[in-house]
Amino acid sequence: MSELQEPKEELRIGVFVCHCGLNIAGTVDVHAVAEYAKTLDNVVFVKENRYTCADPGQEEIRNAIKQNDLNRIVIAACSPRMHEPTFRRTVAEAGLNSFLYEMANIREFSSWCHQNNPKDATERAKDTVHMAVAKVRLMQPLQTLEVPVTNKALIIGGGIAGINAALDLAEQGFKVYMLENSQSIGGHMAALDKTFPTLDCSICIEGPKMVDCSRHPNITIFAYSDLVKVDGYVGNFRVKIRKNPRYVIEEKCTGCGECKDVCPIEYPNEWDMNLGTRKAISVPFDQSVPLVYAINRDYCIECYKCTEKCGERQAIDFDQQPAEVEIEVGAIIVSTGYDVYEPYDLPLLGYGKYSNVVTSMEFERLILAAGPTGGKVIRQSDGQKPRRIAFILCVGSRDKNKYPYCSNYCCMYTLKHVVQLKEKYKEDIEVYVFYMDIRSTSKGYEEFYDRARERGVNFVRGRVSRIDENQNTHNLTVHSEDTLLGNPIEVEVDMVVLATASIAKKGSDNIARILNISRGQDGFFMEAHPKLKPLDAPTDGIFYAGACAGLKDIPYSVSQGSGAASRVAAVISKPKWQIEPIISIVNQTKCTSCGICVNACPYGAIKHEKNQPATIITASCHGCGTCVAECPSHAITQMHFTDAQIMAQIHAALQDNPEEKILAFLCNWCSYAGADLAGINRCEYPANVRVIRIMCSGRVSKEFILEALRLSAGMILIGACHLPYDCHYINGNHKMKTRTDTLKNMLTKLGMSPQRFRIEYVSAAEGIHYAEIIKEINQQRKNIGTKQIKEETTKLKPTIERMLKTKNHLTNPPP
Amino acid sequence: MPYKSSKQDSSDVLMLEWVLQVKNYRLTLDRHLCVGCQICCLVCPKEAVKIDKQQNMGEKALKSKVDIDLAKCNFCGACDVTCPFGAIKVTLNGVHKLALLAKESYPKIKRTILLDSALCPKTCSECETVCPFKLIKVSKVGFDGQPVKNVVELSPTEKRRIKLSVDIKKDYCPTCKICEVNCPSKILKVTKIFEGKIVINPDKCPYNCRSCVEVCPIPNVLTVDAADGKVVVTDVCCTFCGACKNVCPVVDALVVRRVKVAHERIHSGAWNRALERLTSTYDGVKVLKAVASLKKRDIVIKRLQDEIVDE
Repeated sequence: MSELQEPKEELRIGVFVCHCGLNIAGTVDVHAVAEYAKTLDNVVFVKENRYTCADPGQEEIRNAIKQNDLNRIVIAACSPRMHEPTFRRTVAEAGLNSFLYEMANIREFSSWCHQNNPKDATERAKDTVHMAVAKVRLMQPLQTLEVPVTNKALIIGGGIAGINAALDLAEQGFKVYMLENSQSIGGHMAALDKTFPTLDCSICIEGPKMVDCSRHPNITIFAYSDLVKVDGYVGNFRVKIRKNPRYVIEEKCTGCGECKDVCPIEYPNEWDMNLGTRKAISVPFDQSVPLVYAINRDYCIECYKCTEKCGERQAIDFDQQPAEVEIEVGAIIVSTGYDVYEPYDLPLLGYGKYSNVVTSMEFERLILAAGPTGGKVIRQSDGQKPRRIAFILCVGSRDKNKYPYCSNYCCMYTLKHVVQLKEKYKEDIEVYVFYMDIRSTSKGYEEFYDRARERGVNFVRGRVSRIDENQNTHNLTVHSEDTLLGNPIEVEVDMVVLATASIAKKGSDNIARILNISRGQDGFFMEAHPKLKPLDAPTDGIFYAGACAGLKDIPYSVSQGSGAASRVAAVISKPKWQIEPIISIVNQTKCTSCGICVNACPYGAIKHEKNQPATIITASCHGCGTCVAECPSHAITQMHFTDAQIMAQIHAALQDNPEEKILAFLCNWCSYAGADLAGINRCEYPANVRVIRIMCSGRVSKEFILEALRLSAGMILIGACHLPYDCHYINGNHKMKTRTDTLKNMLTKLGMSPQRFRIEYVSAAEGIHYAEIIKEINQQRKNIGTKQIKEETTKLKPTIERMLKTKNHLTNPPP
Repeated sequence: MPYKSSKQDSSDVLMLEWVLQVKNYRLTLDRHLCVGCQICCLVCPKEAVKIDKQQNMGEKALKSKVDIDLAKCNFCGACDVTCPFGAIKVTLNGVHKLALLAKESYPKIKRTILLDSALCPKTCSECETVCPFKLIKVSKVGFDGQPVKNVVELSPTEKRRIKLSVDIKKDYCPTCKICEVNCPSKILKVTKIFEGKIVINPDKCPYNCRSCVEVCPIPNVLTVDAADGKVVVTDVCCTFCGACKNVCPVVDALVVRRVKVAHERIHSGAWNRALERLTSTYDGVKVLKAVASLKKRDIVIKRLQDEIVDE
């Protein structure tokens, strides 16, 4: 479009092409890319680096900026999700505004995903550089914003990881709130008998830490509470917590337990894996922290015997209501832990059908001295001690049909169980372990495995095919194959223990939605970077500890708790936090005060009074750009992602053979990350895709689509986070969907092939899915054919031009 | 194995169960003993019991069917304690001993049957004959220790030497008083569990509808007047169980009003609510006031006794 205005100052663009060793140079002809860059307008300096991100590479950039008086920089290297902050610093160090540079992703998006097609990879790299140059030409210097930081932290989940994080932070002098949804903190560790490989008592080592937590003046525990809502951003989160009614007043309850003794009602104790019972007024276990009783109104018959017994203490209040508490914190640690899979849906193993088949967690409660059987391992069918026990490993885990991952600690806790049994009952008990591999890869673990073998445990390598029950004796026959001998094997035992998979915590989808963090396909939370940022969530100011982001044993969870505490301290110890200035601003003269943007903003960051132009609360704006796309009078601009910049990218991408290209708008958090992952996994897909990165799919204006079609783009793809809740900006994907659905209907009626415009949902974990989509779209493009696309463009062009003209918003680019 | 809850329903028995590793809670409802009354449904603190009116398949009306919701039932045993017919039993590990009674969260229901069997005429076994539930067993043992079959044939001496004992299965007795009414010697005294009243509204009672008469477990409490085809009540032997109310097809044609429940004195919110539902708010309050005044009486008596001791 001729209306595109160029800034007035003289542009001096420097392009740096990274080899990344052979990562890029091995596939892409980097010299050709560099030569091509020299031909682009305003490019005055081009340089190739072996490793741009290494110190010498950064030094070269700094020197080049100073020596050649460069005022715009393009770095063609890896994904901006990887090194954008690195180079922002480099550019700033050379005295240039750090927002005057753009990255061209030629590694994840070229060399890694088109390894068998170097020619097309080079073409794609050239176009990517061209698009970056086109965008950088329109970039404006921006100032980073600073906001004050609340020096308090919230820890969600009071397991061993959360407890350690809380104690570490509290010791450093920060105020810590700990949110726990069950009645006591302690997590799974408090339910265990012994810990491997030292066999020390679990609650004996965790109990004191739990008590420390409750006594520490800097820690406030909200037990039996739920996370309702989280607003705000790094340094300034506003958290709403709902305290569920215990019907016992926390401040007045002394934990004496007299009420429990007079209560006539019992119900299955979920904390005992429902092997035993607890009273309708009780604590889940004796060492509970906080030691406050709770009434389960589902079972209570309201005889008020407890009230009578409590007497003058008056701690029982049957009229208690849920209470909502609002707190302000600077950072959040998510340590919600895991759940144990209950293999009801594996009928061949007979769990839930045969009375003597138990899971490892149930076995843990059986062998525990404080458990419902007083530490006696007994069979449910006859209450007798079993003489032969089989342990089956990898139930549900390492199973393509269930949970493909390894659950990390099942081998070790099963070894712990067999050693415990052998040391307790000696020759009186015969133990079989059916395993696939024994994974004992930590300090002292292999020695522990040896200890089990020395005790005379029978290890059988093979997957169990089925278990049968003798209906008279309730004994079980385990059918398996001994793969080391190559024979089928049948063993009759009295009891079977299933080491089941550990799975993502129930309700973590809800936590993910509230905190705007994403989960992998396995349901565990996704780290910002699996290697370099294992404790960081993709959202700033939120960190992980423990098994919620992947299964970990106790020592690992403890160290993660401390690690997360130090990451949090790095945020909340500062008085100010810098926010990226990629926020939206309103052109007051253009605003017609219609109020559409107010409804479009997912964060309520836009305020407007009748007949007054809208205003944006800078600190609340998250920079998704949805309001920009929704604004009918084009009065809003998103800094760093302006309409003009994106239009320039569209033009650059569709300069040559537009009919053969796939133009993709990918949101930064899910689909762009998914596309990155396709590169990281070296998934091959067609090289004719041209990607424009936006923060949220909600940013895609109708005009972008119309302009691309006017330029005869072959296919158009919008990549978004999965519906309904995955969007990092709450509901940008919904807004985009409604907006583009109407547009698509209209364009189809005007004669466009409906396949040419497509919306896809790709999560950051779905690299392969992304590659498949691109392949499919390319096939559809071939099916439609260049000729037809050209014909459609001719047909659509007059209407589109009319529409764009009435919009006419590019004639006056915003300041 | 994980905790398992199950429910089995047949025409003979309804059984609910919680099976845990070390505990087994079981509720059994004997469908033959159950008369389809309202009591368990009224007293259940979790509102788990439901009474379903049965479709009239044949000529006679069918008693209502009791159904218990496994998800709501917490095996407290309130229904067990209150069932006038002893149809429900709640056991823990096979033992019928309720924590509810042990912790005094619920009162024992009083079934007072007074009889000095020494006064019984040796020839009489009228109560055994009239008991509609076959709960009374009159056994007569001769001097030789052998049970006596035909008393009439014996000589007066032999008659005198007969040992007579009356065995009453009290747990299953709804205290209908039929035995008391029919006792020729008037030496049997029964106090009813429930006291109250049944009122028939003749304007609404449908002509010749015999539903209530057919389900009533006690003979001759409800009869149909041959003249106008309306139901007539003789409530001397009525247990006020409410089985009739459940099957009555017309609203307010038949009203069962219980005013008093014979029970041991305890202090429990669960019981107060059950009492209110069994009777009415008005009558429940009255009973509670009566209990309170009894308490006051006890206090006064104790004080008086203390004074006597002091003097």
